[in-house]
Amino acid sequence: MDTDVEKGAAGADGAGRTGAGIMALSLPYQVVVAVALAVTGVFACVHLAMVFLHVAPSNTLTKQNGQAVDDWIYPEFEQNWKLFAPNPLQQNVSVEARAELATADGGRRTTGWIDLTAQDAEAVRHNPMPSHTQQNQLRRAVDFYFNSHNDEHRPNGLRGRLSEQYMRRIAVQRLDALPSLGGSDVRRVQLRAVTRPVPAPRWGTEKPKTSAPTYRDFPWWRITDADRSPGAGADRNPADAAPNRTEEAR
Amino acid sequence: MSAPAPTPVSAPTRARAREPFDRRLTRAVQTVTGRSLGPYQSAIVRIGFSLTWLLFLLRELPHRHQLYGFESPWSWGMAERLIADNRAFTVLLWSDGRIWFEIVYALAVLSAALLLVGWRTRAVSVVFMAGVLSLQNRAVFVGDGGDNVLHLAAIYLVLIRCSQVWSLDARRAAREDRAARAGEPPRRDLTGPLLWVVLGGFLVATTWFADVTGEWWIPVLLWVLWLGNGLWWLVCRYAPGEPRTLLDALANLAHNGALLVLMAEVCLIYATAGWYKVQGSRWQDGTALFYPLHLDYFTPWPTLSELLAASGIMVMVLTYGTVIVQVAFPFTLFNRKVKNVLLVAMMLEHAGIAVLLGLPVFSLAMISADAVFLPTVFLVALGARATRIRDRLLRRAPEKALPEQRRTDAQGPADEQRHTDAQGPADGERPAGGEHGPRTLVG
Repeated sequence: MDTDVEKGAAGADGAGRTGAGIMALSLPYQVVVAVALAVTGVFACVHLAMVFLHVAPSNTLTKQNGQAVDDWIYPEFEQNWKLFAPNPLQQNVSVEARAELATADGGRRTTGWIDLTAQDAEAVRHNPMPSHTQQNQLRRAVDFYFNSHNDEHRPNGLRGRLSEQYMRRIAVQRLDALPSLGGSDVRRVQLRAVTRPVPAPRWGTEKPKTSAPTYRDFPWWRITDADRSPGAGADRNPADAAPNRTEEAR
Repeated sequence: MSAPAPTPVSAPTRARAREPFDRRLTRAVQTVTGRSLGPYQSAIVRIGFSLTWLLFLLRELPHRHQLYGFESPWSWGMAERLIADNRAFTVLLWSDGRIWFEIVYALAVLSAALLLVGWRTRAVSVVFMAGVLSLQNRAVFVGDGGDNVLHLAAIYLVLIRCSQVWSLDARRAAREDRAARAGEPPRRDLTGPLLWVVLGGFLVATTWFADVTGEWWIPVLLWVLWLGNGLWWLVCRYAPGEPRTLLDALANLAHNGALLVLMAEVCLIYATAGWYKVQGSRWQDGTALFYPLHLDYFTPWPTLSELLAASGIMVMVLTYGTVIVQVAFPFTLFNRKVKNVLLVAMMLEHAGIAVLLGLPVFSLAMISADAVFLPTVFLVALGARATRIRDRLLRRAPEKALPEQRRTDAQGPADEQRHTDAQGPADGERPAGGEHGPRTLVG
């Protein structure tokens, strides 16, 4: 049907050749092509089956062969298409931070709660093309944290520990960038997640639920050099910060 | 593979139905080994995804260090620890130096731009894949669905012959074709071998750093592609007979297989998105859309969101419409007309999401994936229109300015014109040599 298109399109191939494909070949070459066809077909089918099992809900096959599916899919073919499903997110989760600062006279001072997510919301507003740093970084980091920790903030292995450090580094980066804290030495930080349900629509039949926010406090975390990017805060009062370096945050 | 080139052909199809099975099987095998199907679809997918990635990289240029570089809260050391565990592919772990990062980012931008215009597509698509995987895997936790689909498409595109039309490669091939017909000796191509040697260097480095570069199959794939390209060059020069046809058939097979996988992947995306939604209470009671319109992260235009969310009926229609379209889409592939209607609906919805939820990159990536199902007739018309607009713009340029450039450009439309012509008459042979036939389909 579109052989003509093909000839016109694949100009390089169309030039002065009598034929293409398996029919234009002699038997030994045909065998090679036939084998390749079989391999390609099987490979495509297996791959699609694996992707299907990966995106499908847990079922008889994945319960028995989940490891094989995971081995095939991860890391490069991982995918998640539950976009706003089964239900869309119905709450705004804000991450707030407060910091314990070392004051000039050697004492400590604790700041008030600073809403980090509000910075993102501000950046997204009236922005036709929000950056991933504004729309995804903190939002997905806190998601990742909750998915890799239990309710007592205990990490579930490597990913949990990494996500903890990730949250800490995001918080420090954002706090360091605040002009109001400019130059002060952040010794410890505490985060909390504030969940505010989106009130049900006015035109809906459901009564708008109480939209009182719920709070989830994180533990206090000590800040070390590992929580700052090199160059970002390396030159800030190194002498003052030195005594803390041995206390590795857990 | 019914969808990629749904040119209306009724008589031959009916005749084919009466053919014995073995004859039809032979014909099918000949088709998948003799041709790379869906030239326009694979080209639009190439253009769509490279444009998406290019726009994304340019937009994030000021934020690149914070996303993937030394300022990232997901530090190089953390990436190293995670990748030691999940074995994802990234060349950024070769060194934590800033210069290396800038080189990789620049190469990613360059490869996206070159893939967009279809320059040395086979080689460039490999660099494009390496760029996408390297940056995304360096910091996986800043991505969203758009990054995810781009990640997959970048891998599949490597195996797809996506520069058969609408590319500098196609133009060059047509020029060489014409020269060969006119009896001119073929020009010596230095760029190709040079590119091959340079990429060979990178390949050696990939192998050297295999421990930190990802799973074993990616270097193997890269080696196969590299050797295959070298072999293709040799065969074209010294054995233009059967060996060349064999390699061409293998490349066609890879193309057709990868295109099929890409199309199935798009179906799986919509099937998953749709079927999981069916189970959600908010999608059932028709209020689901209301909620994203009130999430701080997805309301760049609060007034607009408020306006849409104010109407319960409107929200319900869109909520139900979304689910219906997503669940139905894979099944509509059996009917061209319904498929096209749903395709338009999905693309419009994604365009809406781009503005309303502030997700333009995600939306562009999804539209690029959808584009694999666009009908050939439409794509040909689109190409002709684009060519016409370009011609008009160039013709209006001052007469004296840049005569050199005008001459080369005059060559381009002729090439694309040829494809349009070839598409036109369903039964006719392409007029040999005569490039300027009447525009049949697009008038």
